[in-house]
Amino acid sequence: MSVNTQGHDGGPILPGTPLARALSAGAVPPLSNGFADRVVAAAEARPEPLPELRRRSGRWSNWRTGRRLAVGFAGVVALASAAAATGLLQQLAIPVPSAGTIWASISGPARAAPAPSPSAAAAASSVATDEAVAPQPVGIAGPIDTPEELGEAFRRVDALRDKRREVRRAIIDQRIADEIARRSAAGLSPPTPAELAAVRERIDAAQSRRQQSVDARLKERREDLQRRVEAGEAITRRDILRPQATRQDLPEGSEAFETLRKMTPRERREAWRALPPEQRAALAEEYRTRRAAARAPAPNPSAAPTPAE
Amino acid sequence: MNAAGTPLSQAPQNALAGAEAAWAQRLAARDAEALREVIALHGARLHRTAWRMTGDAQEAEDIVQEAMLRLWDQAPRIVQRHSTGSGAAAGLQLGGWLQRVVTNLAIDRLRRTRRMSDAEVPDREDDSPRADALVEAREEGSRARALIAALPERQRAAIVLTYYEELPNAEAAAALDMNLKAFESLLHRARASLRQAFAAQEGGK
Repeated sequence: MSVNTQGHDGGPILPGTPLARALSAGAVPPLSNGFADRVVAAAEARPEPLPELRRRSGRWSNWRTGRRLAVGFAGVVALASAAAATGLLQQLAIPVPSAGTIWASISGPARAAPAPSPSAAAAASSVATDEAVAPQPVGIAGPIDTPEELGEAFRRVDALRDKRREVRRAIIDQRIADEIARRSAAGLSPPTPAELAAVRERIDAAQSRRQQSVDARLKERREDLQRRVEAGEAITRRDILRPQATRQDLPEGSEAFETLRKMTPRERREAWRALPPEQRAALAEEYRTRRAAARAPAPNPSAAPTPAE
Repeated sequence: MNAAGTPLSQAPQNALAGAEAAWAQRLAARDAEALREVIALHGARLHRTAWRMTGDAQEAEDIVQEAMLRLWDQAPRIVQRHSTGSGAAAGLQLGGWLQRVVTNLAIDRLRRTRRMSDAEVPDREDDSPRADALVEAREEGSRARALIAALPERQRAAIVLTYYEELPNAEAAAALDMNLKAFESLLHRARASLRQAFAAQEGGK
């Protein structure tokens, strides 16, 4: 039956009607004595309610997860950018390719080389300089047939020699710094200033001796070249460059030294330790003899090789 | 209308609307004295509702106690939803919340009692008055009780809330978790059933 078709049956119960009087009959019993005390006692004995469980499902949780991922990614990018901008990555020897390097690795056929470490930078630069010097040391095209051209060639050669001396000095400084760092990492005490000064002095002395020897040889060769040019002879690039020593030119017994010289310091050290004691003693004696013969005018009591050598 | 049959004034309740947020905060802070005050303010009315629904004074007290303990447990969450100073806090009605809990608890207990009884369970809810209840109502004071008890649970709740407690239809609908139109339809059917039962009672005298 619909509400609208029920007529008066479903209407309000008006006061004073028999139904209202019947419903109003009787009294409601009151709450018993001590009801509040019982409820309060039960409430105080009740354990603490458990915390509300987190809703892990639903579309909002997905949005929250995505937002956290985005915020985390943006944070990582910001930190990485800040570290790269402040040079922190370079201090930690972490290579940071430039935009040009990345573009070259993508587009160009030549692969982008990784950024060299600080310790290898000097060595790499010296190798690059040597490569640049060796094929075309002075960049002279055609024969040299005048004293002016010869003087210009000597000037360019001297400029390159000065540059190579600077590179060698940088390599020596870097090797000394690496050795000090290695000793510190191994828990060894660093060299005292006096020891460091002694090493520097030995290196400088060795370089000075080498320089004097080279200068003497150069002076002879240059005087010879000047005489040939003044005599009307045309000098070629091959005549100016120092002739490379061949295996046949090496003195007797130097093959073992050449083999050791081509090794890395670590390989050389291991190969030296692998030799029998008698052979090591024989090689050391031979080395001392050769050095004594080479430095006959100023014999050096120290037989230990220096980093410059 | 109160337990004695006099109308229940809504003015004091409105004056206390803002203060109920403070009560809720004290309850959330586990203030037992606040619970006593809430019982003193709302306990009698809630007990009246529960008694008219169930017809059992002891069970009515159990229902009110259960509602108060639920308020004790839920107070922190209620405070969280009605932060102090906001419009939600000003509109907080602990009395309405308790009324809803008591009504639902009473309906649940009536349904549980019916399921546990030995009587045959009908296929569908029978809206007609129960004759045995009318026959058992011999004394004058229990005639009204028998009329109410003859109604199904939700119809019974609709009559109790609107006739005895004089709640507006909107508040009574909220107490029963119903929309207004559905509640008005329920109330209409409840009144019709009540009149039929009363007519049957009068005719059987």
